[in-house]
Amino acid sequence: MKNTFQLSLLFILLIQPPLLFAHAVITSHSLKIAPLRPARQEKVELTFNSQIELGLSQIFLVHKGDKHELLHAVKGRQQGHIIVDIPPLKTGHYAIRFRIFAADGHLTEDVIHFTVEALPSDTKAKDSNSNSSRF
Amino acid sequence: MAGIADFLDSLVGGFDLICFSLVIGGLFWGLFVLRAWNNPNQYNDVLMQKTVALLYKGGFALALAQLLKIILKIWLMTALLNRWPFPEFAATTQFLGGTLRMTLALLLAGYCYRYLRKNPFSQYHWRIAAAAALPMIISGAWLVHAAGRFENQFMLMSLTVIHQLAAAAWVGGVFQLVNLWFLHSAKRIPAELWPLLLRRFTAFGIASVAMILISGVPIALQYIDTWNGLIGTGYGNLLLVKVTLLVMALGFAWLNKSAVLEFGISGNHRRLNHCVPYYIEAETFVLITLLFTAGSLASQPPAIDIANLTASWQEVLDTFSPRIPRINSPTHEDLIAGEAGRVAIVGQIPSLAATEWSNYNHNIAGIFLTVMSIFAMLSYARSNSSAPDKFLGWTQYWPFGFVALGVFLFFRSDAETWPLGPIGFWESTFNNGEVLQHRIATFLVFVLGIMELRARMTRNSHAKLAFVFPILTAFGGLMLLTHSHTGFQPKSAFLIQIGHTSMGVFSLIMACGRWLELKLDSPGKDIAGFISVAALFQMGLILMFYREPLY
Repeated sequence: MKNTFQLSLLFILLIQPPLLFAHAVITSHSLKIAPLRPARQEKVELTFNSQIELGLSQIFLVHKGDKHELLHAVKGRQQGHIIVDIPPLKTGHYAIRFRIFAADGHLTEDVIHFTVEALPSDTKAKDSNSNSSRF
Repeated sequence: MAGIADFLDSLVGGFDLICFSLVIGGLFWGLFVLRAWNNPNQYNDVLMQKTVALLYKGGFALALAQLLKIILKIWLMTALLNRWPFPEFAATTQFLGGTLRMTLALLLAGYCYRYLRKNPFSQYHWRIAAAAALPMIISGAWLVHAAGRFENQFMLMSLTVIHQLAAAAWVGGVFQLVNLWFLHSAKRIPAELWPLLLRRFTAFGIASVAMILISGVPIALQYIDTWNGLIGTGYGNLLLVKVTLLVMALGFAWLNKSAVLEFGISGNHRRLNHCVPYYIEAETFVLITLLFTAGSLASQPPAIDIANLTASWQEVLDTFSPRIPRINSPTHEDLIAGEAGRVAIVGQIPSLAATEWSNYNHNIAGIFLTVMSIFAMLSYARSNSSAPDKFLGWTQYWPFGFVALGVFLFFRSDAETWPLGPIGFWESTFNNGEVLQHRIATFLVFVLGIMELRARMTRNSHAKLAFVFPILTAFGGLMLLTHSHTGFQPKSAFLIQIGHTSMGVFSLIMACGRWLELKLDSPGKDIAGFISVAALFQMGLILMFYREPLY
């Protein structure tokens, strides 16, 4: 009986299912405030609820068809603050996908969806430039 | 390979907590419960050697667990980053803190093995061991949730360490009680030690639980700032599960305490020897589950950080509301057609077929369990009444339902993989953590049915086969409590998770009930058996009414 109980405990301990790490989360990002505009080198600011090990984290730009492009990111001035360089993009739907290694050892995967679209002022400016080139 | 590394990493995480409990519980047990230097003639060498052995073996295992955690983290990083993670990883808190803790655990275990083992009656050696444990305990502060926080970091780290310490003292003390019972039942220690140490542990256990609450409440208030955060997030949900498990464990502790009191008043040791050991065994199952749930809780984002992703109480309630089970499945072609859009990152299209497919799976599984539990109740009624076998005799075969359920789940749980889908068996099993969990669960359900059927057919009341059912059920409960669907939509994931965690609790109740049914005498045996089957019925109802959010 003693062996049965010990084996039971051992069995329960050794066959433990996987956890999905998901501690660090984004608490705010600049895409909410300032949408990206086409054909411009942009910077996106991400703020996490936890300290981040940036050297062990990956941030991707996801294009239509789920094509991934690795992005360059640097730490911001505040803790948990990251600034990501976004290359010039055409209008359309995109996503930023990241795998973040938090200081507490947990790995987080998440996605932020965003749209690149021209503002009416951009269109006017473009028209104005086009017109001016005619004269 | 990332799937296996992830799997092993979490496995070692839970193992680490158990080893920590063995070390801390052993130390507290020696310092505050045994106090061998005061009573050198009361204890024999066997008891002291076994007590110290649990302590240093736990210490060596803790050092090994820390080493494995670091190796697995490196493996996981290499698999995910597609490159060697050094030198960056060497500068992380996890690497530095983990290496330090491993070294300190090794030193402590080495001291206990080299010196305390040879001087188990010496107060000086116990105190040195406690002093050696202190840096190891403190080093754990850099490996917890709070280490990455910005606000009240020091306070949260300190409270978490105290919380872990109190929990480890209690759980480790219960491990020592189990050890004590084995020695007592083998007549290797004086008979009077069993009630004496049980009584001493009662006071110690109360102090530990008080400390768990005193340290745990401020942590909870820091991470959960609203009632909705408690009810409508994964973090809050797992905290509620922890509280439920704590209440269950305290229930067993109360039964033990009352048995010890009864012995003190009447001198009758029937409950002390025929009930308490089995309550402690069941309590051990609950406490281990509690530790793994605590590990799972640490992987959830605190409710305070995801206020905009919190489900309302109405949404939570709706998850459990009764409705007509879905008994028609969408076709496999419809499901596969919607998968590309569902899993796409850019331009994702929620798949109605996928949601209905999942609802059908859960609802049919619920019908299986509900019908089985009704048959099981009838089989108990048959064994407790004079009803002729020809009417209810067939109900004893109710565990066969698990076999049928296992076959059903094998075909239905992961439709995009073999045998129905295009992804191969091995490829899907070892590259996707969720598929791996489903495969294990399916296998367990199948084996559970066969084993329990055989166990209930045998006339040998001492057969060990019957214990397979509670063990597998307890493991199933662990899986459900730590099974995560967290992906890119935390709110949907939470609404899926809440049903699974509720079933996890009922699964553990079923396991403890069956374990006690096999161990206790009547009437405790009958009560435990009924509770076990009632928990199966509850799980059936949750599954039968399950509805997955569209995502």
